[in-house]
Amino acid sequence: MAGKEVEVRFKVFRFNPKTDFAPRWQEYRVNVDRSTTVLDALLKIKEEQDPTLAIRYSCRQAVCGSCGMMINDKQMLACFTRVLELNSNVVKVAPLKNYRVIKDLVTDFGEVFQKERQVKPYIIRHDVEELLNPTGTYKQKEEELLGYIQFADCIECGMCSSACPVSATDPLYLGPMVLNRAYRFIADPRDLGFEQRLEAIDSEHGCWRCHFAASCSAVCPKGVDPAKAIQLLRRALVKRAVLGISSSKVSELIPMPHIKGKLELPKGWQ
Amino acid sequence: MRESKRMFLHYVSGIIILITGFVHLVSNNVPGIGTAIHESALYPANLIVLLSALLYHMLNGVRVILMELIPGRCAAKAITWIVFLVGIALYIYGLQVFLNLFWPMG
Repeated sequence: MAGKEVEVRFKVFRFNPKTDFAPRWQEYRVNVDRSTTVLDALLKIKEEQDPTLAIRYSCRQAVCGSCGMMINDKQMLACFTRVLELNSNVVKVAPLKNYRVIKDLVTDFGEVFQKERQVKPYIIRHDVEELLNPTGTYKQKEEELLGYIQFADCIECGMCSSACPVSATDPLYLGPMVLNRAYRFIADPRDLGFEQRLEAIDSEHGCWRCHFAASCSAVCPKGVDPAKAIQLLRRALVKRAVLGISSSKVSELIPMPHIKGKLELPKGWQ
Repeated sequence: MRESKRMFLHYVSGIIILITGFVHLVSNNVPGIGTAIHESALYPANLIVLLSALLYHMLNGVRVILMELIPGRCAAKAITWIVFLVGIALYIYGLQVFLNLFWPMG
């Protein structure tokens, strides 16, 4: 049962950098019930009132992280926020802060993904032969998994970097999303790429620029704690700088005779 | 020097400021033990360590603020060098003041 419908005013940020001189607020009235999410309401506006409204969305269930936006001045996922839960007759919707606006509510994530590439967000190993022709599996204890699993829940919606006060002032700062990603792999015992990520994370615009406002952790829709990841990253860097310990544990290989796989590298990858 | 080493020294210098600052206050204000410190070689040695830690901590803080205010990789390098040179100049000046104070020439 969806329940009684209520009319809610939506103030939506409109801006097309190609044609508009300045952004403007446009108002729409939408009937919502208790199940209507902000994304549903915006799609209703797009379908029934204004097809020119630009929105980015995909999964509609807080998995893809595409529909992050400022809803009543807070970073939220539009698909995960019910309109009536906002307890307001006026819902203000704007694009995420700290990102370039492509059009209306759609922001450009190109720059942040460029930064993410710098921290090599994947498992790095030196035993290429084992990766190509696996003979076993890498041992991982449950407590080792618990050391990074929380940080692996990130869906890269970019809301943490939007809420970060340092990202707002320093465009070169890697930001909580990227630093969380870096820690997720550094804490993984299967990974051996700590040294390769140093240039990015231990730089003038790396993890040391965090002011620990922790607004990133406050807005995360998945309960990830990027502020904690940054502090743990700092601890790992100090351990390396002072004690020379760059990796606490490395997974050992457990031979599994039944694994018979041969992976072929694409041409030119050797 | 990597940023982790710079920031580690920043934290260490903060702790040194607390300790040497405390010793300095005690030596100037507490009769007995304070007077004993004041009249020993520990007093100028403590002041020199306090000056070093204070200058490093202060100028590194200024460097971080400037790097956030003036973005750019080249700007960061330039700021680091300028602050380093200013720090060296201030340290030499401070040492000269201490030399004149504790070991006056002529």
